[in-house]
Amino acid sequence: MKRAAFLAFLVLSLTASAVGKQPAPEILGLRLGMSYNQAHARLNEIGQFKSEDEGQQVWTLSHDKHYQYLIIGFDRDRHVRYVTVLARPDGQPVNYADVGNLAYAARSGGEGNLRYTWKANDKKGRFEYLAIAKGKDPRHLNRYAVKRLGVAAADDDRD
Amino acid sequence: MCPTILALLLNSAITSNLKLKVTFFLAMCCALVFPAFASTPSSGTLTPVNGSSTTWAGSGIAGATTDETTCVDGTDCDVFTITLTGSPSNYQGLILAINISHSVTLNDYDLYVHKGSLSGPVIASSTNGIPETGESVVIDPTVSGTGVYIVHVVDSNVTPGDPYSGVASITTPPTDSPAHGTAPTYSNYQSPPGLGDSSGEPSIGANFNSGRIMTQAVFDTLQVTFNPSTSPASATWLLKDGPNTNITTLDPILFTDSQTGRTVVSQLFGTTSLSAFTDNDGATYTLSQGGGIASGVDHQTVGGGPFRLCTADQLLATPAPCAQLAARGPLTQYPHAVYYASQDIGDAEMALSQDGGLTYEAAHPMYTLVECGGLHGHIKVSKSGIVYVPNKSCGSTQGLIVSMDNGITFTVEPVTGSTSGTSDPSVGVGAKGRVYFGYIGGDGHPHISVSDDQGRSWHNDLDVGVPFAIRNAAFPEVVAGDNDRASFFFLATPSAGDATGADTGTPFNGVWHGYIATTYNGGRSWFTVDATPTDPVQLGVICTQGTTCPSGTRNLLDFNDITVDRVGRVFTAYTDGCITAACIAKGNNASAPHTRLDNDQATKATIIRQSTGKGLFKSYDSTPLRP
Repeated sequence: MKRAAFLAFLVLSLTASAVGKQPAPEILGLRLGMSYNQAHARLNEIGQFKSEDEGQQVWTLSHDKHYQYLIIGFDRDRHVRYVTVLARPDGQPVNYADVGNLAYAARSGGEGNLRYTWKANDKKGRFEYLAIAKGKDPRHLNRYAVKRLGVAAADDDRD
Repeated sequence: MCPTILALLLNSAITSNLKLKVTFFLAMCCALVFPAFASTPSSGTLTPVNGSSTTWAGSGIAGATTDETTCVDGTDCDVFTITLTGSPSNYQGLILAINISHSVTLNDYDLYVHKGSLSGPVIASSTNGIPETGESVVIDPTVSGTGVYIVHVVDSNVTPGDPYSGVASITTPPTDSPAHGTAPTYSNYQSPPGLGDSSGEPSIGANFNSGRIMTQAVFDTLQVTFNPSTSPASATWLLKDGPNTNITTLDPILFTDSQTGRTVVSQLFGTTSLSAFTDNDGATYTLSQGGGIASGVDHQTVGGGPFRLCTADQLLATPAPCAQLAARGPLTQYPHAVYYASQDIGDAEMALSQDGGLTYEAAHPMYTLVECGGLHGHIKVSKSGIVYVPNKSCGSTQGLIVSMDNGITFTVEPVTGSTSGTSDPSVGVGAKGRVYFGYIGGDGHPHISVSDDQGRSWHNDLDVGVPFAIRNAAFPEVVAGDNDRASFFFLATPSAGDATGADTGTPFNGVWHGYIATTYNGGRSWFTVDATPTDPVQLGVICTQGTTCPSGTRNLLDFNDITVDRVGRVFTAYTDGCITAACIAKGNNASAPHTRLDNDQATKATIIRQSTGKGLFKSYDSTPLRP
């Protein structure tokens, strides 16, 4: 019994170290908390601006083999509040497990509407954030997002 | 016997596996005994000559449906195909008139005309109710084209033995008839001092069971009872806060299911909402989970209505999808669905509650920001369980998000002919499914458009501000009653200029009033009435740019609301920004300045109550509304 438990722990530990327990607070080089100008410099490297709505911007990704669109939201201080990427329908699929260790994620939804959510602190412990992978398929995600917690959106109605 | 049993089951929700099995068994029995019917003949051809005509006889079908989407051809609806020869230009000065008639006043057929095929757009429909014994539509072939038209006759409520007969003819057009009759009148009721003093973006609902009105003014949940024994009726306002809905908020919303009488109150809080519901107009509450979105951003909305469930005939025709729908039916004694929707991070999502708002499932995505703007209007549910969410910007037009499966999947339908705007649009759904989409166009004018096919096509897009030379409008709100009746509430001003911007240059100068436009003929014409003629709602700008609006421009926040009571009387909730005698006097003085500097910047909860005129339910027309 103890041996089985030890093996299970070992497997879990190895898996965790291989994938990373928690997803990083960034997607495609766009890091939560990054300034507006820094974010735009990166965005211009990887895509083209498509549209803006209520302080949120949609960018078309030029050459990414996984993702077709990137949506980015800023807080009132014009720092990156969230980043979401939408999978390219004909692109190389991304497994849920590719973005973080599923053993550390909360799983919700069900068949056809699956989501894994990780809650984490950035390395310096400056802020909490969520990483959320959603999809209809049981293995491949349709969209993936990181979102900083505890900051107001640019368009929040009230404090 | 089988048709009788089926007729009894047709309108009842399938609420359990047992009922599903029993219904399926009965339907199978009936299918073996009663074959499908079709109209006789099944088609006819018309030429571009005045007097060209064709007739047909209905198949003798009988049954009951909620709307066109719940009928099964050959069982409780049938089809007649008309082919117009020639080119559209051949029909100059001519129209295609289609009429059906039957004998028994207790029966009700409805008429829909699709272009091209049965799945093509509905370009005309007639959905009168009992006791009418006929339906008719007029189509202009120079606009709609020639070729195939599918006449779809649906049993709204038909007992056996009363078949319809149909006539289609090419004739000269009737004289265009603008709205005629008497326009409704309205009275304003301001909340008493101390109640509803902070009322940005109010909601309102009517409980058909108690007759009371429920309204939300940020933290104040208010129960309003009108006493009609005096004229004008007096109003009693009572504070009925929920235990967790008067503490903190990022956005308030209230929804009342008129049929069940349940009121849900929600206050956006972080990534979810603080929420509770009441079945007795606020006397007691039950705490709710709050919502089904783990990381909702803002602008949440709650709505609800019947689940989308199959009729017995649909179950017979398509058992597999019907079983999927039934799996998302009610899980408790509470018979209706409750939905929670919000903008999320990069998309907008909706979560279904199968237990009346107590708990919610994990939300399903409705659309992404690639398709539409993140913020959206409020949820409306048709009697047949179709869920609608309007959006002010889906590409270059307004959009309507539609779910036909209790919130699993969604389609984004562009409102063709519209332009995107800055106020959240609103939908009202008639009793037989007609959708009225009220919006403020890119030109600032108040428009309303109509769809009879769940948003796939649109017609009768009208600027209802024309009678008052309206140049700018905000906060469109729509409610419908009978299929042909709807009311459209909006704030508006005849003043031109940047009326809904940030007001950073020369302050906008204009007086805003509350207007209500009402149709009694399916949206072909509207009565527009100034419902606050002597008491302006706002002076100066109404900024609709969210939190980027400068101080003193956004006291009304983002929306108002409208509802209808059991007898068809219309109520609206709005925030009054101009309430002092000095402000009102300036608003009524054409030569006085009317900028935000002249406004009170107040946020006072106020209700408009329809005083006279026809309501939204024809069955109550014989009892005129009293002030």
